[in-house]
Amino acid sequence: MIMDIKEKETAGSSIYVPEIATILKIEEMSQTEKLFDIRLDDQKKQEKFCFLPGQFVELTIFGLGEAPFSIPSSPGNRDFFQLCIRDTGNVSGAIHRMKAGDKIGIRGPFGKGYFPYERMKGKDVIIVAGGLGLAPVMSLIKTILEDRDSYKRLVIIYGATDPSNILFRKDIEDWKKRDDIELGLTVDNPDSAWQENVGVCTNLIPGINCTEDAYAVVCGPPVMYKFVVSEFEKKCIKPENIFLSLERRMECGVGKCNHCHVGNKLSCVDGPVFSLWEIRNLKEAI
Amino acid sequence: MLYKVLEKNGYRDFVKSLISGFEFIGPVKKDRAVHDFKVIKDFKELDTAYIRTTIPPAKKILFPPDEELVCYEIGENIDVKPVVESGEKILFAINAWDINGMNFLDRVFTTDFIDDNYKAKRDKLIVIGMDTEPAETNFSPSVGAEFATGGFDLYMHDIGDRYFIRVATARGDGLLKRYAVVKDAERNDFKEYDRYMDNYRGRFKLDVDIKSFYDDFEVIYDKKEFWENAAKDCYSCGSCNLVCPTCFCFNVKDDMELNLKKGEKTREWDSCMIPDYGLVAGGHNFRPTKENRLKQRYRCKLKTFKEKYDRYACVGCGRCIEACLANINIAEDINSVKKEVSA
Ligand SMILES: Cc1cc2nc3c(=O)[nH]c(=O)nc-3n(C[C@H](O)[C@H](O)[C@H](O)COP(=O)(O)OP(=O)(O)OC[C@H]3O[C@@H](n4cnc5c(N)ncnc54)[C@H](O)[C@@H]3O)c2cc1C
Ligand code: SF4
Ligand code: SF4
Repeated sequence: MIMDIKEKETAGSSIYVPEIATILKIEEMSQTEKLFDIRLDDQKKQEKFCFLPGQFVELTIFGLGEAPFSIPSSPGNRDFFQLCIRDTGNVSGAIHRMKAGDKIGIRGPFGKGYFPYERMKGKDVIIVAGGLGLAPVMSLIKTILEDRDSYKRLVIIYGATDPSNILFRKDIEDWKKRDDIELGLTVDNPDSAWQENVGVCTNLIPGINCTEDAYAVVCGPPVMYKFVVSEFEKKCIKPENIFLSLERRMECGVGKCNHCHVGNKLSCVDGPVFSLWEIRNLKEAI
Repeated sequence: MLYKVLEKNGYRDFVKSLISGFEFIGPVKKDRAVHDFKVIKDFKELDTAYIRTTIPPAKKILFPPDEELVCYEIGENIDVKPVVESGEKILFAINAWDINGMNFLDRVFTTDFIDDNYKAKRDKLIVIGMDTEPAETNFSPSVGAEFATGGFDLYMHDIGDRYFIRVATARGDGLLKRYAVVKDAERNDFKEYDRYMDNYRGRFKLDVDIKSFYDDFEVIYDKKEFWENAAKDCYSCGSCNLVCPTCFCFNVKDDMELNLKKGEKTREWDSCMIPDYGLVAGGHNFRPTKENRLKQRYRCKLKTFKEKYDRYACVGCGRCIEACLANINIAEDINSVKKEVSA
């Protein structure tokens, strides 16, 4: 470095400064996932914390690191928001070891691309999620259910590796009881108690009845997209009505660090939700 | 823009007063081949007749390799503060393509969200430009970067016995008023300047055929042999990123002091050419091969920002060509794409 070491200047602002937040409650969802209820300590900021389905926050574990997480709770809930986190590494592992009352940092919400729930009104909506991919679409599902009459059919297809990995069980139990949700559950490795489908999510799509102006949403591990999208296309759903959440490595969340590029776009500021039409010609998007 | 003229015999005093009045950063000869931008305290150290600097000056000042962004103290409460460095500095004798590189970084760091940590430094940086001799690997004119229309306070063109100065800001005008004896440029000065620029532009020898790259790239993208051949010798070392005036990829990390009371968020330069650039938890890698990473680097440099800001993210400085031990050459590769498609 060419500069001498000087006193730190700490006036002004920075987009990298997280808000302090408190973990209110932790719920174990599976062996590897936990659901955290989180509230910003600054009450005014919490009240103003509004997000759209599909958006994410950057979570800081002080002294340890930062990572992006989708918000699975309902945008209508202004008291707190939730994060569903899989224990896979540094930051995610650290929050798994925390307890209610512990402090974390939050930046966001981020992402310009979200699930266009307004446009979906009056139409059939098909949502396909794999594994942890249920987290980003959860807030869309909740948004739709809070205004269920404005939408036509709601189809949810959810696949997990095995029954013990199914997330958001309570919600799923509720969905099963409703007659205004067509639910398809599937696992790769069933146990003896499993009564639902076996195999990949893609198998369940051909059976869906939907109109050509339906909206479709997919979120899951990277390998899943291509297969699901081709099933949607067989149903003649228009590419501009198919939405995907594309998660890439992200370091900043605000369009600077450049890690999350998908072709000419950045997942953090142009996405993470894209329409299939937008990314059609972006090589390696799916 | 104002246009002024400074007689050569007034140059030394002007620069000396800048050196004594400011934190002054300018080119210093490092060895036969390269210069480095450093804080200068004595006029004698300054050497503006440079051809190469390995690390681009603006990049290391505005976007240092390792930069603290935020600091925090953890006690009963957590106190988080931004670390925004904003001392006034003069950056002297930076050339047009490096100014254009800095202008590119400005766009990146102020689009969508304003990166305060970058902007505070940029706002306080007084930039005085000067033309330098292009290296053989320089193709700035092909990407429109051999001339800067903005992003500086003063730009001084050496037109013989005097400097023709383009004054782009009130701050630059103020420096001239306070520290130099200048007069308004007249018709004849413009004539000399015009002739000088024609001559200067003629000194760039390397030409690349980039006009149709934007579309041609997509046709070539899936041609496996083309990319395997282009990237076959790449060591994935990242030197090309390190020396580039427009590369801006970084990682953010959080660290704690040993007492576990104080911590900080810092950013560090990253490189899109190294294997873990696209690696995420769980082991999936979005950019697993060197061919794939080279393609993405070219897309980023030559296409992405053409679409976003109508400019290339490459200023044609040629540094990456000289830095690459595997002889991977962006200029040749652009020409090869053209040849391949039009053949
Ligand atoms: C838009 C978006 C939404 C996400 N939503 C969720 C969610 O709801 N639940 C959840 O459990 N995880 C989610 N992830 C993944 C999550 O951000 C972390 O990457 C993952 O938890 C591992 O981070 P780590 O720091 O624990 O692991 P480490 O191995 O320590 O990762 C180091 C760094 O690499 C990057 N990184 C590693 N893996 C990934 C990845 N898979 N995706 C992106 N960047 C990565 C991160 O910047 C991270 O800081 C999301 C990622 C993105 C981009
Ligand atoms: S292109 Fe050259 S400089 Fe860049 S990573 Fe490969 S070997 Fe290193
Ligand atoms: S890509 Fe190479 S030629 Fe272009 S600006 Fe960067 S270092 Fe210079």
